Amino acid sequence: MKSNHTNQEPVSFNGAAIVLAWLFPGVGHISIGQKRRGLLIMSGVLFLVLCGVLVGGIDAVDHKNDGLWFMAQVWCGPIVIAVDLLNQSLIAPLPVDEKATLVGLSHVNEMGTLFIAMAGLMNFVIILDVIQAKKGDDFELRSGSKERRAQQ
Amino acid sequence: MTLAWTPFLEPLNAIQPTWYLLLLPLVLGIAIIYRAIREENYAVYWRSVAIMTGQVVFGIVAIAIALGLFVQLVIPILNQP
Repeated sequence: MKSNHTNQEPVSFNGAAIVLAWLFPGVGHISIGQKRRGLLIMSGVLFLVLCGVLVGGIDAVDHKNDGLWFMAQVWCGPIVIAVDLLNQSLIAPLPVDEKATLVGLSHVNEMGTLFIAMAGLMNFVIILDVIQAKKGDDFELRSGSKERRAQQ
Repeated sequence: MTLAWTPFLEPLNAIQPTWYLLLLPLVLGIAIIYRAIREENYAVYWRSVAIMTGQVVFGIVAIAIALGLFVQLVIPILNQP
């Protein structure tokens, strides 16, 4: 969160950007003109989610058995809810012997769950940032950078 | 069995013995996101991502070594009658 805004422009409340930031990570920043920043955020969050599902399988998101973790993961938005729905419809109803190869055990499950939880918590930070971000305040344009370069 | 592995559906159990290496992509992803909102100049963005990744990995490895030494060396000494 930037607290060193030096200019006197009032910071507007970006309600739509907050919703967009939750619906798809990075789109909130893109919607307020911070395209490059938004694309980097999107690539980072998707990288963590894809790594988490790759390592832990779709069982890495499970709102029934890992409810507390899901509370962190769900900040990634509908992507995580879709993975959870897949888990609940494809894996959860299976008998134990068929489920064995589809459910991550020990560190694999822990790391998969952790990857997606970290993606969710980081997207929560992104949502907090987009609340007070200024329109078009992309790289090289964010307040303070021009003044700092002028001093150097 | 890696041969029958279906990516994104089944867990990657083959990585179980070296799970701690997953710290690197985890920290890299966090650094990419965090530096995207903190960095003001794109020219130094990827350098700051690499620096943050290195710092966090170094910090966690240092804590792991310190705790390992504490458990392996200090606790046995404290347990001596």
